[in-house]
This record gives sequence, C-alpha cells and structure tokens, in this order.
Amino acid sequence: MRFFRSLFEKVPPGLAVILFLAIVSGLILSFKKITQLEDMEMWTPARNHLPAYVPFIKGWNKEHPDQQFSISHISSRALERRLLSGFFSGTPVANLTEIHIRTAHHSFAGPLDAIGFVDLTDRLKKEGLLDEINGPSFGPWTNRGRIFVLPHDVHPVLLAYRSDIVEEAGIDVSQIETWEDYFRMMKPLMADKDGDGYPDRYLLNIWDTTGAYIILLMQQAGGRLFDEEGKATMASDINVKTLATIVTWVSGPNRVGMEMISNSASDFSLMLDGVITGFFMPDWLIGNLKQKLPTIAGKLKVMPLPAWEPGGRRTAVSGGSGLGFPKAAPNFETAWELGKSLYFSEEIAIHLFETASIITPIKRFWDNPIYDRPDPFFSGQPIGRMLIDQAPYVPTRTSSPYLELATKHLVNAAGNLKRYANKNNIFTVEELLPEAKPQLKIAQEHVENQMARNIFLETTP
Amino acid sequence: MKRFRTTPLWAPWFFMGPFLFVFLTFTTYPLFQSMFLAAHQTFGPEHSAFIGWDNFRFLLSDPRFWKAFKNTLYFVSGSICIQLPLALALAMLLNRPNLKGRALFRLIFFAPSLIGMVFVAMIFRLMFEKRTGLINVLLHSVFPSFNLEFPWLDTYLMPALILASLWMHAGFYMVFFLAALQNVSQEQIEAASIDGAGPWQRFRHIILPAIAPVASFICLLSIIGSFQLFELPYILLNNTGGPQDRALTIVMYLYETGFEIGDLGYASAIGWVLALLLVGLATIQRTLSKKEEQ
Repeated sequence: MRFFRSLFEKVPPGLAVILFLAIVSGLILSFKKITQLEDMEMWTPARNHLPAYVPFIKGWNKEHPDQQFSISHISSRALERRLLSGFFSGTPVANLTEIHIRTAHHSFAGPLDAIGFVDLTDRLKKEGLLDEINGPSFGPWTNRGRIFVLPHDVHPVLLAYRSDIVEEAGIDVSQIETWEDYFRMMKPLMADKDGDGYPDRYLLNIWDTTGAYIILLMQQAGGRLFDEEGKATMASDINVKTLATIVTWVSGPNRVGMEMISNSASDFSLMLDGVITGFFMPDWLIGNLKQKLPTIAGKLKVMPLPAWEPGGRRTAVSGGSGLGFPKAAPNFETAWELGKSLYFSEEIAIHLFETASIITPIKRFWDNPIYDRPDPFFSGQPIGRMLIDQAPYVPTRTSSPYLELATKHLVNAAGNLKRYANKNNIFTVEELLPEAKPQLKIAQEHVENQMARNIFLETTP
Repeated sequence: MKRFRTTPLWAPWFFMGPFLFVFLTFTTYPLFQSMFLAAHQTFGPEHSAFIGWDNFRFLLSDPRFWKAFKNTLYFVSGSICIQLPLALALAMLLNRPNLKGRALFRLIFFAPSLIGMVFVAMIFRLMFEKRTGLINVLLHSVFPSFNLEFPWLDTYLMPALILASLWMHAGFYMVFFLAALQNVSQEQIEAASIDGAGPWQRFRHIILPAIAPVASFICLLSIIGSFQLFELPYILLNNTGGPQDRALTIVMYLYETGFEIGDLGYASAIGWVLALLLVGLATIQRTLSKKEEQ
C-alpha cells in the first residue's frame, strides 16, 4: 500500500486523468455484454442493392416474428476477409451473404469439402430452380461441377456510343455487325481537326492494361482462361487470335483504343468530352453512370456489341454477384427461405432495374413491361429490353481461384505483344499471331506452375 | 542493518505485463507461426501439409519474385541516390543563417511528410493521368508538341514512383540532416575558412565527418522503408503491379500471394527472405559505421 500511496503522490495530474480514463474504459469494455439486435444476419457488399433489400427484410421480419434478420453493408474486400476468416477459423459469419465473383474464386482454392459455402446443387435441382435461372449466370459460382452460390444477375454487355457525335457525322450504326464494321465506319470520327498531330477522338475504351475487357472480348469470341475442370486454357487458338486483334487496336499510329478503366472523374471527363466515343456498357455500369454522370443523358445510345464474325455473339459478360450460405452459420433452412424469397421476388427484380439498371437472371420476370419502358438517358431506347434480348447469349464463364493471377499474366502478355508490335512496326493480326502464341503460352505456364503447387486442389493443370 | 525493499518484486512484471502480452501475442507468436507456415502448404488451419524447403525452392525459380526484387532494388537505389543527397542539399540551404524565411521554407519542405502515403498516392495518380493529369496538361500547355498521353503510369512507372516518394520523404530526411548540421562546430568551419579551405573541402573534411553517424542512420532508415514499399504503388496503380509488373515490389508480391491467391506458406517464405535481407543490410551498415567511428 505504501508503494501505491507514494506512486499516487508522485503521479502528475495529467497522467492521473489518462490512467483513470484507461482503467475505467477498460473495465467498461471488459464487462460490456455484446448483444445482437437480430437473430440472423445478411451481408452485402453492394450498396446499390440496399434500397431494394431493406424494405423487403423489414417486411419479412414483420411476417416472421420468430425469424428476425438484419442486413449490413460491408465493403467487398472487408467482407471477403471476414468471410474467409470465418471459413478458416470459425469466427462468426452471416447466415447469408452476397459476394462478388472474386470472393467466390478465392473460396474455391481448397478441397471441395472445405469450401465454406453450402453446396446448393442438389437443392436447386430438387426445388426446380435450375431452369428458372438464366443458365450462363451459374458459371462463376460453379466449381468442380457443384454450385455454391445463387446468382444475382446476368450482366450482359452492350456497346454505348456518343450518339450526338456519331449521328452528326452521318454514321448509321444499324449497318454495323462486326468489330471490323464498327472501326471502319467510325474511323472518320478520329480526324485531327484541331491540328495538334493527334486524333481528336478514339473509338473504344480498350487498352493492353485493361485485363477485364480483354477477357470480356475473349469470352465473346468463345475463348476462356480456364475450362470447366479448372485447367488453364489461356493459350488456346481463339485467345491467341483475339489477343493479337486487340493489340492491333491499341498499338501503332492508327490505334483506335484508349485507356479508360476506373470510372474515375478523369475517365468520365473523357466520356463527356467525346475523346472516347464507344464504351463497353454492362447493365451495372448504366446505373452507375446515371448516378455519377447525369450530364451525359441524351448524348448516349447503346447497341449490341459488334460480333467477331458475321452472325456471331453480340454480347459479353462483366462482373457479377450472388448469394452464398456459409456452412459455419446456423439456421440454414431459414436463411435459404429468406434468400429464395429475396432473389425470386419480382418486386425486388423490378426495384433493382429501376434503381440500378440491373436485370434479373429469373427468366419468367423478363416479360414484365417495365423492361420495355423508353429510357430518356439513352435518348428513349428501351434499355431493359435491349439487355434482356442479349441475356440468353452471354458467354458461360468458368471459375478458378487463379483467375486474378491469370488476368495479371494475360495483361503482361498483352503488354509484351504491344511492345513487340511497336518495336517491329507490325500492326496486322496475321503478323502478330506468331508472337501472340508464345506470349500466352508463357503466361499460361506461370499460372500452371502456381496451380501445380496447390496440393489441395484436385485439378491438375 | 536490515535493508528494506521499496519496490515489491512483482512491480516490474506488473508494469511490463501489458507490453509483454501484446509483444508475445502480436510479434513473437506470429514470427514463429510464419516460420511454421513457410514450411507448409495450408488451406485454413484444418488443411495443412509439410513441404519442407519447397516454398523457398520455388521462390528461387519464380520470375515474378525476381521481377519484384529487381523493382524494389531499383526503387531503393533511386531513393538513396536521389532522395538523400537532395535532403542534405535542402538542409544545407536552409541551415544558412542569413536566409530569409527559413522557418517557412522548412515548414513547406517538411509538410508533404505530414500527409499519409495513401493520400499522396491518390494525388499523384490524378497528377500522372493521361490527357487530364496535371503534369501532362501543364507540359502540353507549355510545350504544345508534348504528347498529352505521355504514359507516366505505363512506361515510366518506377521514375514516377521515385518522384512521388521524393516529394513526400525529402523534407522528412531534411529535418534529420538539419538537426545534425546544427551540431557541426561553427568555430571549426570558420577556422578552416581562415586556413583557406574552400566550400567543398569544408564539406568533405568537416561537415561530412560530423554528420556521418546521422547520415548513416538515415541511410538505413531509407533502405528499410524503401524495401517495404507497398501503399504507394498499390494505390497509384489500382491494386496491381502495373503493366508488365513494372512496379511490383517484394511486399506487394507478398500481399498478392498471401491474401489474393491465399498461399500463406509462400507469402511467409517471401517475408522471411525480405527479413533476412534487411537484417543482412543492417549488419553491413552497422559494421561499416563501427569501422568509420574507429
């Protein structure tokens, strides 16, 4: 006691206050009981889904007093960390959670039985839900033949263009069927009218660094980075040809592409100033654009993506989210009922289209007249119907925990090929093909080397 | 005579307890755990297999690791060879007693280091943008033939990173040099001037030996900081290592392997290689400093 008394006599008042506060707050925190407001929880990384979900869950809670749910918005990366930590270490996770594609890929890296989500395959078959959902939408959520996540969307991609500029130049887009047609007919827009030695406009937001768009175009052409069994197929002939073609768009004195990926303010200014006249436009980006760049309303129109060959696929696919049910969380049956009601609700589907321009993968809702409504943002085009017309044709994607790594190596291959083209002054597909093949082979080998190290993945490269 | 103990035996442990608890939990345990991980392949704690030296063996033949290593070395050399001489030059300039507004200049040069690295990266990302970025727009307005699409964040990635880091850290190191310069004996400098020593001779034979211990410390600080480069390229390049991995650093590769691919064992192996490298460099620096002192 003497020690403490002498200590208190010597302690300066400022330090005493700090010590007092530290001890009191420490005691409060250690005795505070952590109470959960609701019995069950749902997480979503998509802020734009909340306006539709919150009233729905309130309604559910009213109707089911013994099955109360709460919903939280958590940023995508934070959600992924919490979820994977939950899978590995048993920390609490939500009963049901929406996730982005990359989170699903990361959770697929281990043995099949160790995947943290409930396997929904048999349940979907038993309840007859497989046929209700647009087939290709299951792609990213399927691993080694099993479906782990309920798809939320289709995300077909259209091509948006600056209709004011294009129509003023007298270009008739209805004549465009292939990429070759598109660049040929739009070429006059690139004239250097201000005389600074550079084209005034570029025709497409594509660059060798935009991995997501390179993959999008490869998938449109029928290529993919991994097959259904998870084997790397980066150096397939179709990918080689697509990559060589894309490199001709982004290199040399006659390039038509320009970098625009992040949807930042400067990217939007390129759009608004008409520096880029054509952009890939998945449905989710439409909602985003309406919110962030309302001043461009009436200056844009959309058309189906130009095909690689006459009669070919006029769309692609970009992004995606879905609903997973962590194995570690209790009350799966209740969570499943809520998830099903949420994802198979026409009211929610319409709400999502109206607020975020996202179309539902539930095919029976596609007849709703809301999708035929003219959209003033796109000069009165029925944007919903145009997206739905392409929805059945979106490419089926495959999933792999190594997709991000593959994308990085693909971008490296594209960059190397572009450098090769610029260095040797060769800008035709035929001339680039012999170099494109080894570049993609090197990229594939790097990915395969990493895959071969994963002793938990049953698939061998 | 009986001696009374004024401090009870448990007192040191009582006061050291919180630190020891935090240190053992968050430093010592993870250190040993990372050693364990480096020799294993894992998928969560339930799936783990011993693979011995395989992670280290793979690392030696991994071209991306060597690319990251080369990039990091490039950045370290840029930092040492440009940042430190510039910081010293600024300090010498601002140490002149007859300079007007010295305090203001010191504040101006030091101010960037008060900003977080993430904000610096975001600011420079906007500045380096093609077409709309401040740097290209400014250069284009002064020299109309300058290409508005000059690819700073494409072809000139490492110089761009060094430039951003220079802006942020030169003022920070300047403060250390300034403190050291203020301890240099003015009498000695004046005496040398009277004896006919020129500015270079005074710098070489009086100032440099006097500030050598501080310079050596700053050098080590800068090397360690540069080897740990992560936030700047990560934010500047939108979570990537840039085209052709031109700005992929060792720590970025560690992060990518551990948290994006989920290979914690390999990430631990990379971490250990980096740690051993830094220990080696610190030992070399310490040995050289001791020799210098002797």
